[in-house]
Amino acid sequence: MIKVENLSKNYGKFEALKSISFEVPKGVVFGFIGRNGAGKTTTMNILTGLIGFDSGNIIVDGKDLTGKTGELSKYIGYLPEAPAFYDYMNSYEYLDLIAGLLNIDRKQKKDQVQELLEMVRLKKDAKRKIGGYSRGMKQRLALAVALFDRPPILFLDEPSSALDPEGRREMLGLIEELKDEDTTIFLSTHILSDAERVCDTICMIDEGKILLTESLEGLYKKHMHPVFDIEFESKPEKELSMLKGLDWVKDINTAGNKLSLEVNDMEKAKAQVLKKLSGSVGSIISYQVRKMKLEDIFIGTVRENADI
Amino acid sequence: MQTFRHYFKKEALEALRTNKYIILFVGTIFWALMDPLLLKLLPILLRSSLPIDMTSLLPGLNRDTAFANFAGDLFEIGTLFFGFTLMGLLANEIRFKKLIFPRVRGARFGGIVLAKYIHYSLVLIIFIFIAFLTNYFYTVQLFEGGMLSINMVLRAAVLYSVYYCVLLAILLFLSSLFKRGLFAGITIIVFAYTMSIFNQFQGIRQYLPNYLLLKAQDILGGFDATLIPTILISAVIIVIFIALTISRMRMIDIA
Repeated sequence: MIKVENLSKNYGKFEALKSISFEVPKGVVFGFIGRNGAGKTTTMNILTGLIGFDSGNIIVDGKDLTGKTGELSKYIGYLPEAPAFYDYMNSYEYLDLIAGLLNIDRKQKKDQVQELLEMVRLKKDAKRKIGGYSRGMKQRLALAVALFDRPPILFLDEPSSALDPEGRREMLGLIEELKDEDTTIFLSTHILSDAERVCDTICMIDEGKILLTESLEGLYKKHMHPVFDIEFESKPEKELSMLKGLDWVKDINTAGNKLSLEVNDMEKAKAQVLKKLSGSVGSIISYQVRKMKLEDIFIGTVRENADI
Repeated sequence: MQTFRHYFKKEALEALRTNKYIILFVGTIFWALMDPLLLKLLPILLRSSLPIDMTSLLPGLNRDTAFANFAGDLFEIGTLFFGFTLMGLLANEIRFKKLIFPRVRGARFGGIVLAKYIHYSLVLIIFIFIAFLTNYFYTVQLFEGGMLSINMVLRAAVLYSVYYCVLLAILLFLSSLFKRGLFAGITIIVFAYTMSIFNQFQGIRQYLPNYLLLKAQDILGGFDATLIPTILISAVIIVIFIALTISRMRMIDIA
């Protein structure tokens, strides 16, 4: 559905995107994850035609739409991270403006406005000025704007970051519904549990470079290692040095008094972890084995990339 | 065309809800009411506040001078209202990222710029005509003498309208150039006042838009051949600056 080839963008001397390439198949939820400043929003702004780029190609639905922003609007809906509206308008007026720009006829417009306002739970407040809305309400209105006329591709930039827990759950439910309707969703987020829940494919970006693009399933198969989370009474400095360099230890992360041990041989690890830590057993507060999360894979991948 | 139509409607709603109509009204029509009244009261005010009678030093006030006085004041005060009210037309939309949704959903910059330009041109033209006619009505009531006629007033209104359409085209471009509308506003005001200086130079003044104001205030001079280059150059300036604004909007990052 979307093919990006060697896309580069510079801001003066700063290289925001360093010749990135990836492909988004039709009907999938494509999780675009990365740290703040990694290049996620820049990529989205380019793909939605809002900003220019220095080199590369953008192919949408088999058509080369490089530089043809007018045509792009037929395919896409966009929910920016911090949506901005004309605050003196109410939701009806704003959606009316959008419907006009999309050239939707009067009857269809009326039906769609009602349906979308109901979907995003704004019908009750639709006659209030947008300037008086909370951030969450603005985010929901932005989603209605993005969904107007059901574009085949939806770009969502941190869609749940401003929402309360209930709103966030609803947003994720909605993404799942849209996926079932064959909408291609390009989801940028740093809430990795959200990406884990709804995405089919994950693309990791860091410092303007794509680190990997893989299906979530494939990612788990390739990178899934068990993790031992051990909490100590004090900072585990001595324990860290004891575990470092062992052949069954893949990676060690510490945060305060907690130590996360990623292992590549579960059997060996089970037999030896506590043995190795025998001198500190008395100071262990908790000990558990868990499966790796997307967050662990992401941190590992970023670190590997930094080491290269 | 879709963009133009819907943005024209949006501009009207915005001007109404953000009080731009009221501010522009005050900047033009309010002065049309106040100017002849203040001028009429000026000798009385001077007589009561000065120890000696200086009213004899004032030039003879008749309908012609009262109207010319209003036209001069409208330029000086109206330009301030114009610049500071419309300075953010594009700058604010860009700075506060208001164009993201419309652009992604198919809005074209040509339509947006033209809608803003035509909407505010019409508003200015209407307000200028109302202001000039209102001023004419009061001037005729309050003053005597002179040759002022409604035709002369309408002619002056046409020249003022053309002048403010030129200023608006330049302001729109400046508003797309600066991130903060205030800079666009100050620049256009300084530009307008500075250009008036060139009205002192006979050889070049008819090639600059401010000559329109000079001719508007010269009610007995009327439309003559010296206005042809001024009007042609004004039309060229409008077209060039509108084209530059559209081209600038296509170049900048709006997100």
